[in-house]
Amino acid sequence: MEMKFDGEFEVDLPREKVFVILSDPEKFAPLIPTFHSLEMKDERTAMLRVKVGIGKIRGTASTELTLTEAEAPYRAVYIGKGKVMQGVYESISSFELEESGQGTLVKWQAETNLVGKILSLAGGGMRGYAEKEISKLISSLQNGLSSNPQTVTAKPKADGWLARILRKSDSGETETAETPVSESKIAEGLAGFNDEQLDRRKEAQGKIDNVLSTARAEKRLPRKEDNRLIRGQGLFVDDFHPAGMLHMVLVRSPYAHAKILNIDVSAAEALPGVVCTLTGAEVKAQTNPFTQLGPEPSALIQDYCLAIDKALYQGDPVVAVVAESVQIATDAAQLVDVEYETLPVVVDCKESMQADVMLHEQVGSNYTWQGEFEFGEVDKAFEDAKHVVKIDHLKFHRYGSTALEPNAVVATWNQMGELDYFSNTIMAVPIAMIGPALSVSSDKIRLRTHDIGGAFGNKIGNYPHMTLAALASKKAGGAPVKWLETRSEHMQAGGHGSERNFFDTEVALDADGVITAIRSTHVDDCGAYPRYEPLACVIWAQVMPATYKLRNMKIDMRQVVTNKGPCAPNRGYSRLPHLWFMERCIDICGHELGIPADEIRLRNYIQEFPYTTPNGCVYDSGDLPMMLKKAKALVGWDEWKKKQEEARKEGRYIGIGIGTTLDSGTNNFGQSQIINPFLPFTGQSQASTAKLDLDGTVSIAVGSFPQGQGHETTSAQVAAEVLGIDTDFINVKTGFDTARNSHTGTGGTYASQFAVTGLSAVHGAAVKLRDEMKKLAAFSLEANEDDLEFGVGEMGPEVRVKGSPDKNINFWALSNLANYNTASVPEELRDLHLNVRHVYVAPFQTVDKEKKYGNLTLTYAMQLHIAVIELNRETAQTKILDYGIIDDCGTVINHMIVEGQSHGGAGHGIAASLLETMPHDKDGNVICGSFTDYAPITINNMPDLKYENMESPSPFSYNGAKGMGEGGGAPLLSISAAMQDALYGDGIIIQNSHHSPMFLYEVLKNYEGNPVSLESR
Amino acid sequence: MSDSTETLSIEITVNGKVYQRDVEPRLLLVEFIRENVGLTGTHVGCDTSYCGACTIILNGEAIKSCTYLAVQADGGEVITVEGLEKEGQLHPLQQAFSECHGLQCGYCTPGMLMSSLALLAENPDPSVKDIRKRLAGNVCRCTGYQNIIKSVQSAAKQLQEG
Ligand code: FES
Ligand code: FES
Repeated sequence: MEMKFDGEFEVDLPREKVFVILSDPEKFAPLIPTFHSLEMKDERTAMLRVKVGIGKIRGTASTELTLTEAEAPYRAVYIGKGKVMQGVYESISSFELEESGQGTLVKWQAETNLVGKILSLAGGGMRGYAEKEISKLISSLQNGLSSNPQTVTAKPKADGWLARILRKSDSGETETAETPVSESKIAEGLAGFNDEQLDRRKEAQGKIDNVLSTARAEKRLPRKEDNRLIRGQGLFVDDFHPAGMLHMVLVRSPYAHAKILNIDVSAAEALPGVVCTLTGAEVKAQTNPFTQLGPEPSALIQDYCLAIDKALYQGDPVVAVVAESVQIATDAAQLVDVEYETLPVVVDCKESMQADVMLHEQVGSNYTWQGEFEFGEVDKAFEDAKHVVKIDHLKFHRYGSTALEPNAVVATWNQMGELDYFSNTIMAVPIAMIGPALSVSSDKIRLRTHDIGGAFGNKIGNYPHMTLAALASKKAGGAPVKWLETRSEHMQAGGHGSERNFFDTEVALDADGVITAIRSTHVDDCGAYPRYEPLACVIWAQVMPATYKLRNMKIDMRQVVTNKGPCAPNRGYSRLPHLWFMERCIDICGHELGIPADEIRLRNYIQEFPYTTPNGCVYDSGDLPMMLKKAKALVGWDEWKKKQEEARKEGRYIGIGIGTTLDSGTNNFGQSQIINPFLPFTGQSQASTAKLDLDGTVSIAVGSFPQGQGHETTSAQVAAEVLGIDTDFINVKTGFDTARNSHTGTGGTYASQFAVTGLSAVHGAAVKLRDEMKKLAAFSLEANEDDLEFGVGEMGPEVRVKGSPDKNINFWALSNLANYNTASVPEELRDLHLNVRHVYVAPFQTVDKEKKYGNLTLTYAMQLHIAVIELNRETAQTKILDYGIIDDCGTVINHMIVEGQSHGGAGHGIAASLLETMPHDKDGNVICGSFTDYAPITINNMPDLKYENMESPSPFSYNGAKGMGEGGGAPLLSISAAMQDALYGDGIIIQNSHHSPMFLYEVLKNYEGNPVSLESR
Repeated sequence: MSDSTETLSIEITVNGKVYQRDVEPRLLLVEFIRENVGLTGTHVGCDTSYCGACTIILNGEAIKSCTYLAVQADGGEVITVEGLEKEGQLHPLQQAFSECHGLQCGYCTPGMLMSSLALLAENPDPSVKDIRKRLAGNVCRCTGYQNIIKSVQSAAKQLQEG
């Protein structure tokens, strides 16, 4: 963990004098407020003893303080090294001195690096602690460097940050005498505050109270969801506590590939509070393996919710422990004894293809799928080509969007055989996986979600845990069982986004640099088990030619298993890797032929819409040249080009890159039959219900599983428009519930579709409800249906006769007719229940499985991003200098939400490109076991985004909208392109989608060979 | 792991109400708040002090309650997200997060709000840099942070005007 602080202060001593003190360790050290004693090791190095401690627990620690730079009278730099609470730290402090009147302005900078266990103990708390220590140090220095040192810190001259921290220490944060404290005192809690601490606490609390007590005005909130979420009243899985609930904790394999020789759970079961354990043997006896989506022979893979006799990845669950509390279950899990025999490991897809190590022997190879996608006349196009560019290997790396709320479930399988789930899965499909595994009819499974703390596709991978929790509940006599993934479990095995390798790519171009054909071999690595896989082997084909007009393509698509955590779909699933590949091709070709990145795109972009791709997908609408134009204007392309040239003269590496993505939304499940012709899935549908409840409330339920996308808000917008009333009068149910009957088998939140499928369903249901209401109102008001309108009157929402507002019936009275007052309704109107269901069925055809041809998705939102980066070749660090986004998702239902989705997607893309990766070592150990290692992007390293929107309505949705949310991953494309732009002049080809300094440093240092060649005829 | 079921009696004030409970020494403050007190607005996202979903105010300062023992907070005063409202009315920070769309799934939001509260208590008029610095310990996976910066700026403005 690295911490950096800086600041400045003024003192009245002249600069020379200040320098003399600051550049002499013997004089400088005693100014440290925690200074205890000192011994000079040599002229520049002091061995210090300093007082350390928190509260009343105190002691001394040793530190080595070395003066490393002294430039009289301008600058002094110290390096401090020491040990603290099971960790080591190193810190560099520098002081720059500037004359300021008679006195001196001291500009200081402190950089501390902490390593070791102290981080996991205090990690986040460290920063605050360090900040305080530094503020003390600075005020002490300021005092020590003044001509009239006092025992109390001098009053700060100016207001601002320094003044405040000085005031803070002013309030009495001085050292207390060392008091030895016994262990039992710690256990008692550090309740005893001394006076100074109490004062400080009072001051801090006073400030908080001040901010808390501010006047409030009641205003309307823009999103329906927000009211509960900003009050801390959301209901996430861990907030759900049914009576008698038990907790499940998993024992996981520490090895990536190992035979399970023996399991001993006796000690765990003997621990008081433990209810039961589950092992693979019981799971095998009581459940069926999960349905495999792949065809034979990969259909022979046996995937259960616990490892049976072999663990196939580090973190593979081997034993489940169920106890009264999570603490007891955790304790008991440590008492489980598992004997393993390790086996050779395969983590690389190339090695996996060779099958020297096999994960699922019965399959006879490590392939889950392989097949060829060939369209047009590829060979002929290569014969006719003017230029052929060959690229030997490209790689899209493994990462995950790591939703802040990990996977979780509460399962209750009662004695009547009814199975209730409260979980954060995001699709109805798990029912189709869990039901057959547990031999339970879907009619007996209730699946509910409420608030979900982000998912980004990833939580589809939760179903094995849901299955296991059900078994645990059954074994525990039907008690609810909660399972909550820890962050480290998630990092290890919670569903990584899959990685893809692109081998032996060849691109054919004509004389103008227009791509005419591409042939290539793509290999997906899906981890140890294909879960939801091998669907990735076809989903990319939704965007096969990307945004380009080439008609000839041949992709040899394969997927293998390796000894790594099973993958789960991740934002931009399967399409993003392919789009990244296509953008790498276009940029590399541009560079090879000397055509600028914007120009080669303009020559290759599809210009006319709707456009049918070589494999039968229909791109609905868009204007790519316009997007490019707007994006260039947004970042100031021409100015950056100039700055780039000037910077290059100074030896600085600026790169400018374009990334164009397609966010294909509303998938046609027929594409699954391209993978396995026997799968019974085609098309896509979503349901919604609308009813006028007993008291006249309009109540809408949908079949999606929202996780922050604002479905309650947009559903209410659509229904309110149909019913001519305000969204405040529309109640949209939170989360998903099979009991609401508002779903179909494909219900869920995935594949960028809600704006089309979900809202079309809501619209259809609202229209049905409106029509029924009109009929009843016409009867009641003795009016003509055509003369009626909706609105809000004195008695709330009502239906009234246009032009005669007195003739009205409000929603409550209408509902009354259908619910309580049915005898007063004439026979022919008694079919009107004001309780309707509508299913939107997307207008798809089945696909041609043999030819792999058909329309695989309904809408295509487009994004065009431009990244301007600067790469430091010494440190391999990348800084984003400018970032522009143009988003076109057709007609926008809610601009605020669309922009928010674009920001979020861009955040994930930038993070994956520059920070986040999930590497494994050669033994299959996960190298990113916690957030501290994975370093998800924070507000501090997220650049400012420039955003603009365009609207090309889709001709295929009733509202012109296109699904969106996944295309924001375009920074993976634009940053790789910018990196390429920065480095191409040095002959370096960007082959990987990940550019963190650690990774890039190796690339830059050991770059060899030429992965690209150009043949021109 | 614990070999005994020894418990200690502690007293912590949460949002102005005193809770006296017997707890195991290993109980984390976040567990105390969520399970013993029953306020589930404070979330856990990483367990290791990185994400800040568990941020609360203890004795006037923002801390990460996932790496703080309940017994350490004995005698202390805690404010959680549930303590932001006053008589059913939202705090300007809550209002601003909603108005500026500073939240999507809302899982990080309670922690963001508490860190922002501590920031504004110290610095009523923070620059973008100040906001970035002070909220660097709070991860949001949904928003890409742009609107969180806007939310804090807007709240600061409202607080200064109000
Ligand atoms: S849960 Fe406390 S910092 Fe993440
Ligand atoms: S809103 Fe979802 S993590 Fe921040």
